[in-house]
Amino acid sequence: MARVSVAWSNLMHERTRLIVAIAGVSFAVVLIFMNLGFMGALISTATNFYEQFNAELFLISPETLEISTSTAFPRERIYQVAGVDGVERIMPLYSEYLLWRNPETGVSRGIFVYGINPNDPVFLMPELQGTEARRILSRPDTAFIDRLSRPEFGPQEIGTTTEADRRRITIGGTYFLGGGFAADGTLIMSDQNFIRYLEPRPLSLINVGLVKLKLGVSPEKVAATMRALLPADVNVYTKAGIIEHDSAYWLESTSIGFIFSMGVVVSFIVGAVIVYQILFTDIRDHLPEYATMKAMGYRSQYLFKIVLQEAIFLAVLGYIPGLAAALGLYHLTATATAGTLPVAMNGGRVIFVLGLTLLMCSLSGLISVRKAVTADPAEIF
Amino acid sequence: MFKTQPQSTLDSSRDDLAVQIQHLNYFFGVGDLSKQVLFDISLELPKGQIVILTGPSGSGKTTLLTLAGALRRLQDGSLRVLGKELVGLGDRALVNVRRNIGFIFQAHNLFESLTASQNVEMAVELTGKFASKREQSVTMLSALGLADRVDYKPKSLSGGQKQRVAIARALVNHPKLILADEPTAALDKKSGRDVVTYLHNLSRQEGCTVLMVTHDNRILDVADRIINLVDGRLESDSTPNDFVQHKTQEALTEVSADMFIM
Ligand SMILES: Nc1ncnc2c1ncn2[C@@H]1O[C@H](COP(=O)(O)OP(=O)(O)O)[C@@H](O)[C@H]1O
Ligand SMILES: [Mg+2]
Repeated sequence: MARVSVAWSNLMHERTRLIVAIAGVSFAVVLIFMNLGFMGALISTATNFYEQFNAELFLISPETLEISTSTAFPRERIYQVAGVDGVERIMPLYSEYLLWRNPETGVSRGIFVYGINPNDPVFLMPELQGTEARRILSRPDTAFIDRLSRPEFGPQEIGTTTEADRRRITIGGTYFLGGGFAADGTLIMSDQNFIRYLEPRPLSLINVGLVKLKLGVSPEKVAATMRALLPADVNVYTKAGIIEHDSAYWLESTSIGFIFSMGVVVSFIVGAVIVYQILFTDIRDHLPEYATMKAMGYRSQYLFKIVLQEAIFLAVLGYIPGLAAALGLYHLTATATAGTLPVAMNGGRVIFVLGLTLLMCSLSGLISVRKAVTADPAEIF
Repeated sequence: MFKTQPQSTLDSSRDDLAVQIQHLNYFFGVGDLSKQVLFDISLELPKGQIVILTGPSGSGKTTLLTLAGALRRLQDGSLRVLGKELVGLGDRALVNVRRNIGFIFQAHNLFESLTASQNVEMAVELTGKFASKREQSVTMLSALGLADRVDYKPKSLSGGQKQRVAIARALVNHPKLILADEPTAALDKKSGRDVVTYLHNLSRQEGCTVLMVTHDNRILDVADRIINLVDGRLESDSTPNDFVQHKTQEALTEVSADMFIM
């Protein structure tokens, strides 16, 4: 027959206290999940446009902080790696800010421009595929505008004509991309238009070098080969690598990382204090029983185990509803912000927060257990 | 790890004794605040005896009981319990001694969250007999007249029943020594009497030694022997009859002395 589970029975006996404890742990778990969720979502909005880039490897200057704060480097570099085994295609990408005039209000505002060779399949957005899109993109003084640009840029209807840096420009098409943290809006135009609007910018200096690999080729391996070939004025990243690179910049340069990490720490402490209060009260109420157990011949470590078990039970019992509530709130947030704040759960976070919850409860258990261990059997007579 | 036990030069341990106390002194506190509560106690409890310890409040009865129960460390004199010298023992070794002793307290100290049987089983688990623990617990509870209450939680038991569960817990491992501190104090007259009767019968069946502190004059008759402790010193050691006669005489002389003064 199994041991009598004193920990479980004690927890189950005081229902109100149990519910308060579970609610406290769940509350902390939800707070932690929300902080991590917001942080993840914000950071992913800063970098999720990379998903629409039709490339496996990215060449950027070591001085580039993130996509919109980039230093150009010689176009030669992508030709140098064009012959590497596994490379299907290399594509230059130009980028810069341009002043876009709202045709309705007349107010100008900086918009982020990508310049591409119209024959290069740089982006995956469906609106940019096909010969018709290529033809429109090749027209002079024409650009595609991002439907996710801020409304302050004015109407986005095809055929709208306005000015960019004091030069006429016509909207030839639209697409959905998003500008991350840096850009309020984006444009895509041909490289020929790009040099026209951004004179005296030469096409021999590029901002990002995109490398499309053949099917089934390992990006990491090719990247390693390229690094050996290239001089120090350019770095090679995989797609995950460049997302990581830009995310790290945003986490560091903004207070996002700090604010939400603080949020996690504070939630952790709130949870730990609640659990400590509950466990401490529970131990205090059972002190004569614990002392009796010691008189009977139980060792301190057994009491230690009971309290720690109670802590673990509370962690698990509180984590489950906390996770469920967090999933609900994630869904709610994503819906309420119409997908602009893509709060989403991932496996790593589920495990991480479970670990954090167990740690939180065990710490409280360890602090409160001292009282149980010092229960003096000589004092109960 | 080997520990050398302090070898008593005067090793006079005897197999027929459950408890053997020689020249025991006990102090609470240290240094200037130290206060002596037991003075040069020497006492022998043969196996199978039921001994009642009486005396005014604060005379050191509970302290003596906790010492014999290996619940406190002690440094002075000699105290052998079930053949083991307790003076100088460390905490770990004291815990092992406790496992052979049954404790009954004034308060029952049962886990409210556990059933009567589970409370008793907690004691059996110390012996590692997991397979038979339920059976042992039910047998002991039945012997105490609680056969129909084994799966009740303390909340649904009367005071006397709770105390009997506590006794079952103390006795279920068949300890050779039982230490009880005012086990009937919280009970009404009838339940108190019942509890003591059960204790008496079980002690006779199991042949175990009982050392019980009580103020309850109504239960003195179950004792083989009554020890009186006053201000930390052994005052008298007699049979119940002598004790009662002595008490009455004392009362009489006090009365006559009063008359004389008048
Ligand atoms: N933990 C303690 N610390 C200091 N003094 C104590 C402690 N426990 C008991 N005493 C003192 O020791 C004396 C004997 O107490 P106790 O053994 O409880 O007496 P009894 O059980 O006979 O009433 C009393 O004077 C009491 O105040
Ligand atoms: Mg006392």
